[in-house]
Amino acid sequence: MTRKQLFLLLAAVLLSLLPAAAHLFGNPYLLSLASRILIYGLAAASLDLLLGYGAMISLGHAAYVGIGAYAAGILHLHLGAPGLAPALALVADSEVSGLVILPLAVLAASLAALVIGALCLRTTGMHFIMITLAFAQMLYYFFISLEAYGGDDGLSLLGRSKLPLVNLDNDTHFYYFCLFCLIAFLLLASRLVHSRFGLILRGTGDNERRARGLGVNTGRYRLALFTIAGGSAGLAGALLANHSEFVSPGLLNWTLSGELMVMVLLGGIGTLFGPVFGAAVYLLLEEGLNMYTEHWMAYMGPLLVLAVLFARNGLLPLLISGRKRHG
Amino acid sequence: MLLFCEQLLNGLQLGVTLFLMSAGLTLVFGIMQVINLAHGSFYMIGAYVGATVALHSGSFLLAIFAALGASWLAGCLAEALILRHLYRRRHLDQVLATFGVILFCNEMTRIIWGRQPLFMDIPAALSGSVQILPGLPYPIYRLAVLAVGLAVAVLLWLIFTRTRIGMQVRAGAVNREMVAALGVNITLLYTLVFGCGAMLAGLAGLMAGPILAVEPGMGESILILTFVVIVIGGIGSVRGAFIGAVLVGLVDTLGRAFLPLLLRLLLSPATADSVAASLASMAIYIFMALVLVIKPKGLFPAHH
Amino acid sequence: MAEALLDVTGLNKSFGALLATNDLSLSVRQGEVHALIGPNGAGKTTLVNQLSGDLIADSGRVVFRGQDITRLPAHHRARLGIARSFQITHIFENLTVAENLGLALLAGHGGNFHFFRHWRRAPRLTERLEEALTRFDLLQHRDQPAASLSHGEKRQLEVGMALVVDPQLLILDEPMAGLGPGGTVELTRIIRRLKGQLTILLVEHDMDVVFSLADRITVLVYGHDIATGTPAEIRGNALVRQAYLGEEG
Repeated sequence: MTRKQLFLLLAAVLLSLLPAAAHLFGNPYLLSLASRILIYGLAAASLDLLLGYGAMISLGHAAYVGIGAYAAGILHLHLGAPGLAPALALVADSEVSGLVILPLAVLAASLAALVIGALCLRTTGMHFIMITLAFAQMLYYFFISLEAYGGDDGLSLLGRSKLPLVNLDNDTHFYYFCLFCLIAFLLLASRLVHSRFGLILRGTGDNERRARGLGVNTGRYRLALFTIAGGSAGLAGALLANHSEFVSPGLLNWTLSGELMVMVLLGGIGTLFGPVFGAAVYLLLEEGLNMYTEHWMAYMGPLLVLAVLFARNGLLPLLISGRKRHG
Repeated sequence: MLLFCEQLLNGLQLGVTLFLMSAGLTLVFGIMQVINLAHGSFYMIGAYVGATVALHSGSFLLAIFAALGASWLAGCLAEALILRHLYRRRHLDQVLATFGVILFCNEMTRIIWGRQPLFMDIPAALSGSVQILPGLPYPIYRLAVLAVGLAVAVLLWLIFTRTRIGMQVRAGAVNREMVAALGVNITLLYTLVFGCGAMLAGLAGLMAGPILAVEPGMGESILILTFVVIVIGGIGSVRGAFIGAVLVGLVDTLGRAFLPLLLRLLLSPATADSVAASLASMAIYIFMALVLVIKPKGLFPAHH
Repeated sequence: MAEALLDVTGLNKSFGALLATNDLSLSVRQGEVHALIGPNGAGKTTLVNQLSGDLIADSGRVVFRGQDITRLPAHHRARLGIARSFQITHIFENLTVAENLGLALLAGHGGNFHFFRHWRRAPRLTERLEEALTRFDLLQHRDQPAASLSHGEKRQLEVGMALVVDPQLLILDEPMAGLGPGGTVELTRIIRRLKGQLTILLVEHDMDVVFSLADRITVLVYGHDIATGTPAEIRGNALVRQAYLGEEG
């Protein structure tokens, strides 16, 4: 336990000092990459709620990231447009558009997760995996055909959301804001999994039949978790839209869902903090391999297979417990 | 009316392609209880190998054998090297490992064949059209695809109802323990089913070659459609796969063809077209949602 | 005659061509230990699943405390006071012993949508949890994952989870399965202690256990109840001897 706390403390210190380091090395790209890692870490950790605690294998988590991103993008577009409803125009002018955009993005993703989850949770097992994937793909095609908002080409935001106190257009501010969102999510989520709700969910994930036998209406709890995870992914999506100031249907593509799952696996399923680490490993690996070869997927694929076959509990638990494979 | 007939045939043709994809996959799901995302890769391998052999040898027949052989081999290799070790593991591990296989296969095709799509010619013997109804010419190649798909369906039906091995496979999809109790060599049966499933996917890929572009990632779009088919038909049921495939093929094709026309009756042409485009691309998923609401386990679930 | 707690009439359930439950009727009286016996494949577990709600009967009626529950889902029945243990040990392997019991205590209530406060701080939980840990002799294992318990301890935990909510009817599906002689004696002692406190439907292969614990016995053959009576009546029943006990001897 102390080892884990030490690790987290170290990570927190490193993360908070990172902008200074990036400034020192005169490498602003590092900061942008770090922000991206934090955002993907948030999305992966939200998926971990489903995979690690609810035993719900959603292969369509990118859909909620994408909806959050599109909600942010579309709102951003309209808040800047003339001829707005007076109430909204007030918000847009008062330099706090983010206070509207971010919560609405989360709300949109939550609602989508609620509706899709209600349908998907009629099934379990392999059906559930296929159906979450299928609905995500449906939304992917929907946004491709949404010509009003760029269709296949995506949507440019022209600037980031406005918030009081922080200036998101400043990359350092933006990085700290992402860090704040991630830490807030992780703290709330780790409270969540040990709450009554969390206990019931973990039990349901472990042995659904037993939970029902004890009087748990398992479907309601699962749907609530699915909605929470979807909303959190939506926040990640909204941040991502702000980060790149661009939204495209590619965000909803199933490869992102798969990648998020890989991040969860790499970092350790059911650890919440682990997937953030997994996101860092995955994105850095991508960057690193990309320098040497454009075909980095050809290495990533077999690595992934080996990781599944041999490192079943992920990398972070391996590091923290200090267990050596040949020791 | 002629347009309708043409689209109906197109829909059926997409349906039989989906059937070839889903027949093998639904059995793999049903019998081995393993979720395999890499099935689309066998489709892609069939298409690439077929297109390459056809291009270099000029013989479509040779392309058929090469594509079937390559996808069968890829299937057996994937089963023996990776999936066999995952049968007793949780679904999550199966998803992740087969996702890794997809990444690998897609990148390897990019390395070998490049990023540009490959185009495959329709074999000379099957080029041209034939008048199937007065005023309705239809490409012979597409009719051939339809015929091959239906022939495979009949063949599978014969195997499953008339042969011992077929009945064992079917029994396995309903009750795995039963097959073991009958003293069947499970390891061999699994590899056989997996290899044949991959071969059918390769056949589907080969036949789609001259119609669609042969490109990296082509397996995934068809894989997701295949999942929709299996969800609708029910896991482990070949009959369900057939009916699901035909329904999905028809809903998709007819939706794309006729939704714009229907909506134009209600909306202005521009609005109608954009709404119809969105609706048509989502039609099969909405259809799947409807089936789910009524029958969560699909139309013909093999398991009770 | 004592009032019937559970009344099953004309129950049918088939899987394809197999008639697993065939016009089955059964009446469990308030406060008794009612044993269910029958040869392998007699449909005992299928019946239990229909009583707990894990399966829904094709036709017939299940009435519990005067309420028709034939089509009620499992979690509703649990809240009405039907608790069950499973043939194969069903506990939450990845949760700690305390979490297992805590979940059992909390599950009966609908209002568990509390997201932030630790579950142990739920109102009136602490004392009940301590009491349960003590009562089922699991105090020293409280923070251990349930998966690490011995087989006998797992059974104890499972029975404990079924009992902490003070159910009206406890269904025990082969509780002795896989237990050594020591474990069997221990569990028999626990069940005997429960006798009179609540109604028990006991599905069991071990005839010594059944005849020593049961007030009444129902014999199932091919999904149908061929006889019901006291242990003495069942021993003396020619039909039963022929269909079932004969096979044993």
